[in-house]
Amino acid sequence: MTGRILDIRGRKVSILEEGHGKPLIYLHGFADVHGVSGELLPFHRQLAANRRLIAPAHPGVNGSDELRDGWSINDITFHYLEVLDALGIERFDVIGHCAGGWIAAELAVRHPERIGKLALIGACGLFVSGQPTADIFMHAQPERGVDYATLRRMLFSSPDSAPALRWFPDGRGDLDEETRRYQMLRFGSFVGFKPPYFYDRALVDRLGRARMPALVIWGEQDGFTPIAHGEAFAAGLPNARPLQIIAGAGHAAHIESGESVAKLCQSFFG
Amino acid sequence: MPGPVQLYCWHFLSYPHLAPDFDETQYSGWVTVPNSLWDREKSRGLYQQYIDQLAYADEIGFDGMVLNEHHQTIYGLGPSPNLVAAALTQKTKNGKIIILGNLLPLHMNPLRVAEEYAMLDNMSDGRLIAGFAPGSGPETFNYNVASAPSREQFWEAVDLIRRAWTESGPFNYEGKHYPLRYVNPWPQPTQRPHPPIWIPGARSKDTLVQIAKHGYCYFLSSRSHGKETAKSVQQFAKVLSDHGDSYRPNRMGILMSCYVGETDRQAQEESKEGVWYFLKNCLKGHQRREGRQLTYGPGVPYIPSDEFRDFLKFSDPTVPLLGDTQDWDDLQRSQSIIVGSPDTVYQRFMDILEHAQVGHLLIQFHLGNMQDELSRKSMRLFATEVAPRLREASAKLFARNFPHDAAAGRLETAK
Repeated sequence: MTGRILDIRGRKVSILEEGHGKPLIYLHGFADVHGVSGELLPFHRQLAANRRLIAPAHPGVNGSDELRDGWSINDITFHYLEVLDALGIERFDVIGHCAGGWIAAELAVRHPERIGKLALIGACGLFVSGQPTADIFMHAQPERGVDYATLRRMLFSSPDSAPALRWFPDGRGDLDEETRRYQMLRFGSFVGFKPPYFYDRALVDRLGRARMPALVIWGEQDGFTPIAHGEAFAAGLPNARPLQIIAGAGHAAHIESGESVAKLCQSFFG
Repeated sequence: MPGPVQLYCWHFLSYPHLAPDFDETQYSGWVTVPNSLWDREKSRGLYQQYIDQLAYADEIGFDGMVLNEHHQTIYGLGPSPNLVAAALTQKTKNGKIIILGNLLPLHMNPLRVAEEYAMLDNMSDGRLIAGFAPGSGPETFNYNVASAPSREQFWEAVDLIRRAWTESGPFNYEGKHYPLRYVNPWPQPTQRPHPPIWIPGARSKDTLVQIAKHGYCYFLSSRSHGKETAKSVQQFAKVLSDHGDSYRPNRMGILMSCYVGETDRQAQEESKEGVWYFLKNCLKGHQRREGRQLTYGPGVPYIPSDEFRDFLKFSDPTVPLLGDTQDWDDLQRSQSIIVGSPDTVYQRFMDILEHAQVGHLLIQFHLGNMQDELSRKSMRLFATEVAPRLREASAKLFARNFPHDAAAGRLETAK
């Protein structure tokens, strides 16, 4: 794994890279690389077995600078176009989890000609009436000042699962990890709060533009993005495979069931 | 010579009709507290009672009355403090009317605040103190105010309002958040150059810098008043001197709660119901570990991440908050809610003034579900038996410690 800093007109973007081959852009979520972990996790390394995996950290997160002006999803999408320009990448495959999946879908509806294949894991971004994403901000405020059980349940299948306890422990955690989580919540607050529930109301109607092959993966127990969002993505993306549900996994299915999700992705991306 | 400490009566307008089992049965007093608990019949006349208490404070010689803005909470029934302030302009004659403050990021257009405050300044004949606050965690949830950009929005809104009051209109405001082609509010405030501006703050250096730069008054929004307050004063003094200014008591205020009775024992007996109601019910969700406090933390990320990192380094999430207070001795140690005879209360306030040298004490008298007569009696004892001594002793104290206070004329003494 190598880490580097891209400079976009004085704005720093922190990037982790691993592997060789055709570029696969990885856009992260909360319980994920950059969102909690400073390094790639086993899932990402497995994806990099036969691809060049490129995982930028969102603005303000894990070494990337915050944006100076404009934080709408449109601005974030432009930000990633600039990141791709700086990397010199014209065509790519993209995979995104959670808020990263939202950004991947926005890229796909704007520039379908640049994207070979699209994969989404527990992605937000859609407005699905009666099925809002859960309130991650309220649950990031610990109970009794120290207890993150409800946040863990939102992001994982169980508040007591090993990865849940590893990345969102009760009490005061490791300072770097706490800061990274805070930065990811701050990014979420910038991009996912206007409107406040991590959606772009117009996106669902635009999905028809994204005609590339698409794979939509959802944890059966997703406590953040309801599974109805996965069904809406799979129904709206013209060339999506049937929705893949990971039994027993939560929102961060790629962390909890890393190996099987990675296998699905590898056979999809080739 | 600097003048005496200014003593204001703060009213939170709390909801007083909760059932005794509220704490056992309800998760929070904030944001999600079910409004089916609102009792329409018992609540008749409640606002009138609170407005009358504030008018009484004016009558008995307090330097002013303080209101603030809260939403969807039993803690404070003042989603629009400007309405209560408008009533006070008609019912009072002397004291300052302090709104601390309108929560600017909740307003689609801060010009509306510039207009309403200017109306209040005219309606009160120049008695308004204009507080502005950015809101904190609960507003994130109540009004869908995105935390992360809210500070930047806030300072832009303050800038827009100050310019709307001081520059001739119409002018074009090239704001990032509030661009406005025609800034030209009618009326203009009565006070020149503008009503005093107060800004609450606690942890952010950036807030102090802005306050120092523009000559605003710093209201320390903290509930612990031991060494911490003195530390905050020193921090503010340092920022002021970095900006070519010097600290004076009239640049800073703090919030206290108080109950004065004839004797220590009587004060404790009379106040304890209201005090515990305030601590256990009103602070649940705000200044209490039990449940989920929504005011500050990772879910409401309104400060930059380096400031949050510093906060993590120097804080302990298991340290009790004011609402976690277990018993009466614990409470007295907190130095936040001061209960006792006039002598005791005088002594304890003087201790704080000697340590902290702050020129504005904003004092909450009505606590939780406190009865009207008790609130008024406590205010009266304070005004007659504590305030005169505090004024005299603080004037001497400040004269001794700030002998070269060039701003003597600026600090308005009581009538």
